[in-house]
Amino acid sequence: MKPRRRLVFGLAMADLAHEWVLTLCMVLALAAIIAPLMLLMGLKHGTISTLRDRLVQDPVFREIKPAQTREYPDDWYRTLAARPDVSFLMPTVLPASSILSVEDPGGGPARLWDLVPTGEGDPLLLENGSVIPGPGECVLTRTAAEELGVTAGELLTVKATRTRGHKREAGGARLRVVAVLEPRAGTVPRVYAPLDFVLDVESYKEGLAVPQRGWPGSLARPWLSLDGILVVLTDSLDPVEESGMIVNTGLSRIEKLNVGSFRDRTGLVPPAGRSIYDLSARQRALTFASLRALKEKLRGRGAVLMPYTNISHLKLTAGNGYTEIPVFGLSLSRSKAAALGLTAPPWGGLDPESGGERWRSILLPLGTTWDQGDIRATVSQGEKALSFPLHPAGVSPGDRAIVPVELLGALRTAQQREMRYDDGEGEFLLERTGFRGFRLFTNNIDQVPELVREMRAQDIEVIAEIEAIERIRVLDRGLTRIFWLVAVVGILGGIAALVASLYAAVERKKQPLGVMRLLGFSRRDMFRFPVYQGLLIALLSLGAASGGYLLLASVINQVFAADLAMGQRICQLPPAYLGVASLGTLALAWISTLFAAWKSTRVDPAEALRYE
Amino acid sequence: MKRGPRAEGRGKSTEQGGKLISIRDLTRIREQGGVSFELNVPAFELRPGEFVALVGTSGCGKSTMLDILALVLQPTSVGSFLLKEGENAPSIDIKAIWRAGDEEALARVRREQLGYVLQSGGLLPFLSVRRNIGLSQRLKQGAEQDVAALAAGMGLESLLDKKPRYLSGGQRQRVAILRAIAHRPAIVLADEPTAAVDSTRAHAIVKDFRDMARAEGSAVVMVSHDLGLVDAFADRIYSYRLEAPSASATRATCVPGYETA
Repeated sequence: MKPRRRLVFGLAMADLAHEWVLTLCMVLALAAIIAPLMLLMGLKHGTISTLRDRLVQDPVFREIKPAQTREYPDDWYRTLAARPDVSFLMPTVLPASSILSVEDPGGGPARLWDLVPTGEGDPLLLENGSVIPGPGECVLTRTAAEELGVTAGELLTVKATRTRGHKREAGGARLRVVAVLEPRAGTVPRVYAPLDFVLDVESYKEGLAVPQRGWPGSLARPWLSLDGILVVLTDSLDPVEESGMIVNTGLSRIEKLNVGSFRDRTGLVPPAGRSIYDLSARQRALTFASLRALKEKLRGRGAVLMPYTNISHLKLTAGNGYTEIPVFGLSLSRSKAAALGLTAPPWGGLDPESGGERWRSILLPLGTTWDQGDIRATVSQGEKALSFPLHPAGVSPGDRAIVPVELLGALRTAQQREMRYDDGEGEFLLERTGFRGFRLFTNNIDQVPELVREMRAQDIEVIAEIEAIERIRVLDRGLTRIFWLVAVVGILGGIAALVASLYAAVERKKQPLGVMRLLGFSRRDMFRFPVYQGLLIALLSLGAASGGYLLLASVINQVFAADLAMGQRICQLPPAYLGVASLGTLALAWISTLFAAWKSTRVDPAEALRYE
Repeated sequence: MKRGPRAEGRGKSTEQGGKLISIRDLTRIREQGGVSFELNVPAFELRPGEFVALVGTSGCGKSTMLDILALVLQPTSVGSFLLKEGENAPSIDIKAIWRAGDEEALARVRREQLGYVLQSGGLLPFLSVRRNIGLSQRLKQGAEQDVAALAAGMGLESLLDKKPRYLSGGQRQRVAILRAIAHRPAIVLADEPTAAVDSTRAHAIVKDFRDMARAEGSAVVMVSHDLGLVDAFADRIYSYRLEAPSASATRATCVPGYETA
């Protein structure tokens, strides 16, 4: 500060000190405006952040649940899990498939409880005092643990149950309880376990064997699908009989073939004088039910039925060789083959119940030089490939390879359902179907409404605690508005009080101010005199108001302490807010002094002389 | 009876150097409510070390003239108005400053060249005696003096830490005089400094005033209605000749010397 400014500052302070009663009144008047505003701001901020904290701290408010059960493709899960706002995504199975029977160690009846899949990063577990269960482990909700009287570390005996052929069966397992969730994680008794275990329970309930747990059951063998049936008859049919063939069979299209087109389709030549029909269902896969129905209709007419699929080629590998050869599926009993003048294939007639090696036989066309016994076929299934061994069983009579039609039927099913070849069983097995639901948590509560909106746009009905989040936002907006309304009134009052008192002071002090002019203080010096005073009054008021605020805030917080969690306060202001409020007050005080400052520059030194 | 100006040379340095104040042909006309008052100053000068008195009855224009000398009132017209004419430093052309409207320059002249003793003292009520006296020094850089020593010269040493309201009228005037002199201005202007005290005390104050001013090397222009008081101390006296050209007009002319009725 330049010496003269310092001198003006010193005089301004001396004047305030001299009139300390008036100064005190002014300071208290301003503090009486600032302190309640600080308190109001603190209450608003404290309330909102306490409410928000409660939401933020409870993962329930970050959860999005599906409102209906439906199958979601794997891709859908992958895309969703990759979103930056999704912190945890766990697929779930059908509710009915995830009910677990839990034995009561106290001897009571077994409980049937929901089994919920969990995995790394599950916020519901991690934020409720739990760890993620590993293989052979589980986590219980508080209700479940209390009902059974178990604590963390104890072992539970659980069972997956099913009814098969009027017989109740159960697959048992022992699970170690690694943690019990806090009560807020849910009041329903539930068992949280790794997804693998949940899937095993699901498989068992669907009647399948779960070898890794020693649970017996059947294999998930594929059903057979067809695209059409070729019918070879010794006599011809009239149009009524022709159309009668497809009634109530699931077939919809009938076409009469000549010998040439039969050969094109099958690579086989039928005896002369036969009527040949192609019955199909226009792109739709057929089941064996259609074949059985048709067989029934044509009983006694000496018809030969040759079901076919849309698979016309197979990729074969042997050693390093690779080829794609045309293939036709044919299973004929010796008598039927004879009726067509053909040699029956070694695997004989159609047998959808068989499987194993019989299905994986192949007749190769003449001239194909393959290392005997080690041929593999590969069929692509989306991104994955289904690969299985084939064993040559002879030579094909035509120009294309012949396999059992059951094999092509199974491969046709693989076009709709994921399927794998199990080397151990030597069988094709269906992979489990898609998941039927999900458990989803976002990173923070603010991301929930947007994600919910997007999922609803995808026609996925979901449930989320959006209302709770939205309520707080609305409350925040409302309180902010009220705060500013009160603040504006208060601030205007404060400005008016400061302007009036400083202006009156200049009027009152014309004589001393005139003397100062006479002594040689410039107009600029005179301008600063009330400015310094106004700023000092504002500073003192801020100090007094802050003191009052802190006192009242601590009282309020103590009063409400019982209702709040540790570290939560109903009335609190971050230091940044206090800083902004202080700067704002000083800026407003400075503006308020300008009028008085201008007035003091207009004081005529002559007024000091003629004072008497 | 008309007396001539007093013999010059009573002041110890009146004939050395130039003129501290030199005014030619100054006129100030004030009209208010149909009544006009005109002050004419054909020639006024103040030499270093002089104690000059402006004497006249109330309403004669002596206070108006002091305001002009204090640079707080502008004359209607002026031939020339120079401060420190013919001294070593360049003279200060007040007329030019007024014409330029340079408030800042006027304020600077006031704090560096002028001291002022007001009728009522004009002390700042919120400052102690010490700070009141020290104020003029702090405004003029390089003019620090021992306030306590100055106060002792005026018999005020015991009052230094008091606020002005606890002082008597005479004490206040002494403080005001000290403040006007403490920064060793070239010119000290005093407006009836003893109007509020009895004549015995007034005599003592004016004597101390003259002695202090002389000791600090300041020339004094003092306004008074009391010829008896100033006659004893003034080196020179100016008085006012009043005329009434019409019923509603008064004209006062500042002239050297004085007339007695």
